[in-house]
Amino acid sequence: MPKSSVFSSKALHGFKQFVRSEASRFLALALFLVAVFYIIPICISVYMSFTPLRNWNIDRYAGIFVGLENYYRFFYLLANDPSVKSVFLTTAVFVALTLAVNVLGGLSLAIATFFVNERAAGGLQLLWLLPRMTPIAVYSLIWYYFFHPSSIGTINGILYKLGLISKPIDIGQGIIPWGAWAIIVFVNGLVGVSYGMIVFTSAINNIPKELVIAARVDGASNWDITRKILVPMLRWHILYVTTWQLLSLLTTYDHLFLLVKWGLVNRDYGTTWSLYIYNTAFLTGLQDQGLAAAAGVILVIVSSILGFITLKLMGFDKLIKPPRGDL
Amino acid sequence: MIPSPYKASSGEEGLATGLTKVQAGIITIIILVAVVAGVYYMVTQGREAEKPVTVELTGDFETDVVNIGKALAAHGIKEVKYTVWSGGDPNSVMRVYGIVEAAARITKIWGDKGVDVKITVTTRYESDPKIVYSDYISKWTLGQAPDIMANGYVYIASLAEEGYILDLTPYLEKYSDFLEDFYSALVDAMKYKGKIYGIPQDTEARPIYIRKDVAECAGIDLTGLADKVKNGEFTWKDLYDLALKAKNAGCAEWGVIHRKGSAHPDLIQFIFAFEGKLYNDATGKLVLDKEAVYKWFATEKAFADAGLLPSDMMGWDWGKQIHPTVVNGKTLAFIGGVWHWTEWQTKSYYTDPATGEPRPLTAEEVHDFFYYTLFPAGEPGKKPVTLSQPYAWMINSKAGYQNPDFDKLKDLYLKLAFLLVVKASDPDINAIHSIISSHLPVTKSALNLLRDSSWVADLVNLPTIVSGEVKNSISDIVARTANPINVAFLEDATYMLDYTTFTPKHPLYPKLAEFFAEAIDKVLRGTLSPKDAVDFLVSKINADPDLKEAVEIVGEIPSGWSLTG
Amino acid sequence: MPGMRDVEVRSRASEALILLVILAVSLPLITGYSLLILSGFSKSMVTNLDPSSFYPTLMNWILLLQGRTAQFAGIRVNIWGIVANTLVVALGVSALVTLVGSLTGYAVSRMNFAGRKHIMMLLILLHAFPGSVLVVGVAFIYRMFMPPLEYIRFYSFFYVIVARAAIEIPMATWLMKGFFDMIPWEIEWSAIVDGASRFRVWWNVLLPMIKPGVAAVMLFGFLAGWMDLIYVRTFLVDRTLATFIEANAEAEYAYLPLVAVAGTLYLLPTIIFFIAAQRLIFTISVSGIKG
Repeated sequence: MPKSSVFSSKALHGFKQFVRSEASRFLALALFLVAVFYIIPICISVYMSFTPLRNWNIDRYAGIFVGLENYYRFFYLLANDPSVKSVFLTTAVFVALTLAVNVLGGLSLAIATFFVNERAAGGLQLLWLLPRMTPIAVYSLIWYYFFHPSSIGTINGILYKLGLISKPIDIGQGIIPWGAWAIIVFVNGLVGVSYGMIVFTSAINNIPKELVIAARVDGASNWDITRKILVPMLRWHILYVTTWQLLSLLTTYDHLFLLVKWGLVNRDYGTTWSLYIYNTAFLTGLQDQGLAAAAGVILVIVSSILGFITLKLMGFDKLIKPPRGDL
Repeated sequence: MIPSPYKASSGEEGLATGLTKVQAGIITIIILVAVVAGVYYMVTQGREAEKPVTVELTGDFETDVVNIGKALAAHGIKEVKYTVWSGGDPNSVMRVYGIVEAAARITKIWGDKGVDVKITVTTRYESDPKIVYSDYISKWTLGQAPDIMANGYVYIASLAEEGYILDLTPYLEKYSDFLEDFYSALVDAMKYKGKIYGIPQDTEARPIYIRKDVAECAGIDLTGLADKVKNGEFTWKDLYDLALKAKNAGCAEWGVIHRKGSAHPDLIQFIFAFEGKLYNDATGKLVLDKEAVYKWFATEKAFADAGLLPSDMMGWDWGKQIHPTVVNGKTLAFIGGVWHWTEWQTKSYYTDPATGEPRPLTAEEVHDFFYYTLFPAGEPGKKPVTLSQPYAWMINSKAGYQNPDFDKLKDLYLKLAFLLVVKASDPDINAIHSIISSHLPVTKSALNLLRDSSWVADLVNLPTIVSGEVKNSISDIVARTANPINVAFLEDATYMLDYTTFTPKHPLYPKLAEFFAEAIDKVLRGTLSPKDAVDFLVSKINADPDLKEAVEIVGEIPSGWSLTG
Repeated sequence: MPGMRDVEVRSRASEALILLVILAVSLPLITGYSLLILSGFSKSMVTNLDPSSFYPTLMNWILLLQGRTAQFAGIRVNIWGIVANTLVVALGVSALVTLVGSLTGYAVSRMNFAGRKHIMMLLILLHAFPGSVLVVGVAFIYRMFMPPLEYIRFYSFFYVIVARAAIEIPMATWLMKGFFDMIPWEIEWSAIVDGASRFRVWWNVLLPMIKPGVAAVMLFGFLAGWMDLIYVRTFLVDRTLATFIEANAEAEYAYLPLVAVAGTLYLLPTIIFFIAAQRLIFTISVSGIKG
């Protein structure tokens, strides 16, 4: 028997087994939605990366096949256009730094609010959730004025009043590239922190209370409780938040594009790969969705690999042990 | 206990029943969808088989409207729905209300002639016309685009290319008189590959405003300056000298201020003022004219180096920096547009010296503060310019699709949409738009109406406006702006159209324009020298296979050229 | 019974110190948002701590509640209609995400089935597919099932909710799995031994025990729908607050204090929703585990 058919019959067998299992009842709805709104669209996107699709004209261009043309154009731009090169450097720096801010910040906030009284904790959570709840245009507006490179900017205004500077500093355009990166990491970091905070806080709330009380009785300090009880109990959530935020950051563009458009940050060092795709597909004069699809497919592949590696590194296999005691 | 949709059962039995239910559910959904789609397909196919109804246009507006109305009524249509979208400054809201008013007028004609049909118009107007354009194209394939859109004529190229808008040439054959009323340069701007795809809605010139009070303070005599500019006797070098004088005299913080970011068309005027080209008519390709572009960059750089133009100009804030600097007289000159004239009268950019509160200027104040001229020639021997980006009313190639029996009555709906636009070009509608938004009129008859002082005097009550919605929405701004000073400004500025230029209608032009904006920003900030910035443009063009194909690079960077000589 | 707090032997001094540190870190946030809210009550944006740029007025709120977008002229919009659209999308996404997430989260947490690991892996890697790449394909599917025009508005709401909820499924599943994992098996066993089906156990026994998780997923689902731009812009015939604000925050012409007011209005329902969800998160005790 040829190898491939062995494989496929095994896969088929596994599939049959899955369909027959009780779990399929719980998963059916999710799998249906995932198939319709993820799997099929991504297949369509892969297909579109081989067509000259632009300006949303599906009827006209979907039937034209141009082979690897879009991929060629993408790599040509990458090789020749310094702006496109800086997009990749920016993406790497942005993702690494913001990820650290998000996970550590979220964890610190969740733990810190655990040690303060309920009312204060609620207020702080609301405050830190605001960035996630604010409309993107308004959120961008806040930081646009906050970092504005003139005396109208909040930071410049304060520093000037304090006598620390004599002339406004242009962080996003004047200090290249680190000033631009600092702003985009800051702005996105604040949005991401709330995610970790909520996940970790609600997880901490589910930790059996007896553990903490017992530790307190034994005279444990805040630090002991954090290190010996909270963090170990949150392992699954830390893995989840890290991987999740990694992928989020690789694919996020919404909190960046207005900052770039309004000129607060340098275009080359404020644009990430995902924003580049968004700009190419939907913002430039010619909405080049074929090229964007090619850049997007490559992004999806790279992100998936990075996500996969992260899961492996963080011990996904161990955490995903089959549930004990299934009937 | 909360009842569960699944019966309590155990082991194999529950497993089996659950499965069949899920499977059955999925299969049912698939079958249902297929049946619905099939039926819908058959129904629409069946409709297509019916013979389409058509009405020939005669060229007489009323006859055509009544013919279409009767044909619609004969097919049981009582109400025709249209959607119109546009965007831009809130003052320019007639870009959608013009259609609302036109619908009211046509409905009135039908009423008078006993045709029992009415038109209802849904509007959408946003501050950002680019988003309106983006939404138009993304929604077109989804069958949700508006029937009529007023937007920049530059979009005609891509919209026509994709077949998203209607070719109006056949409709206009019978309406040649109507078309002749428009300035011919504007009609040309509506053409793409020889066909007319839009009806001009408004246009503008981009004058240089010079503060009279700053000039006076610095001892600069502005008498006859506009004529000198017109004759090419006053060039950018002379403006530089004046700016320096005003700054050194301590009369203004800045010499010249301009718009930023996407507002690059203002700066593109430099290319034309140095007799450069952006488009080659013969080859249909875009042009990068290295000499003219270099001189543009070097000119602005000279201003920036002398502290006359902020080096972070492209990063200035509109509401807190650009507008207040100009309106409060902290600069000698401003590269603006005619629309600023009433924009300054309707937005609180001015700080009242008496109260310290922000408020809009009055028409008298705008008149007293601002002198205006064409955009001066780049250097002696060259000509002054201005630049227009007319707005166009464009009609969806499926206009009327929201109405019943579209496949059968398509011709009627499309023609009715066209007649709506024709009606929205009525002289009074266009003249009202011109006054409140301070755009130049697009037809000769609208200009004549503006010259009629009794018409202007009566305008406050909007006697000709039929639609209550329109009347209600614009009465406040009409009361504020319909006065002889503003009308005189429009009449006076109209001569500038004789010097006007246009940016190319090429699908890739917006991409090139983005690079220009990026390059000038780098020049002003000092990260690139003017020469390096031109090379930067060349490298950006060559880095993009499409642009490389579409752009001709001509000319050489002149060695030793500088604005100040 | 109070929620899970560290109430026992906490020292006042350390609590105050922690609060002080967090407040210091939060200063930019507090400043930024205070200035935003203040700008809504001013004739021009308040951007630095200079009081001379604050000109108090209520005009912006009045303009917005009248559905106006500028001091003069501008179009009139039905602002309450827009708020209602936003609510429908946000609540729809929230409900669907919570339902699907708690079903799926339960399955991957408590059941062993063929392909379990792969599904878990798939669900997290799906998040690597950005909306900007998916949207063209999703538009394809939109077209395939487009109903006759008279139903298109209804369809567009339905479609946006389902499509947007689908994006949140991985998040919801992973989050819920984490919560289900925390519940001791003994509880489930005893219920199953009593003859309850898995669905009954899921609905009657386990879900009530992880209300904090349900609340968190509901909250994130709500926010996803409330603030979505790209799907709403592309598919919904009507507008939501997010798309309305985005299209009108064009800096050159827009009267920005009005945008600040619209932003504040936009925040109010999300704050209310959060406070409601937060009470759930805090008031639920896990003492039920013992039962």
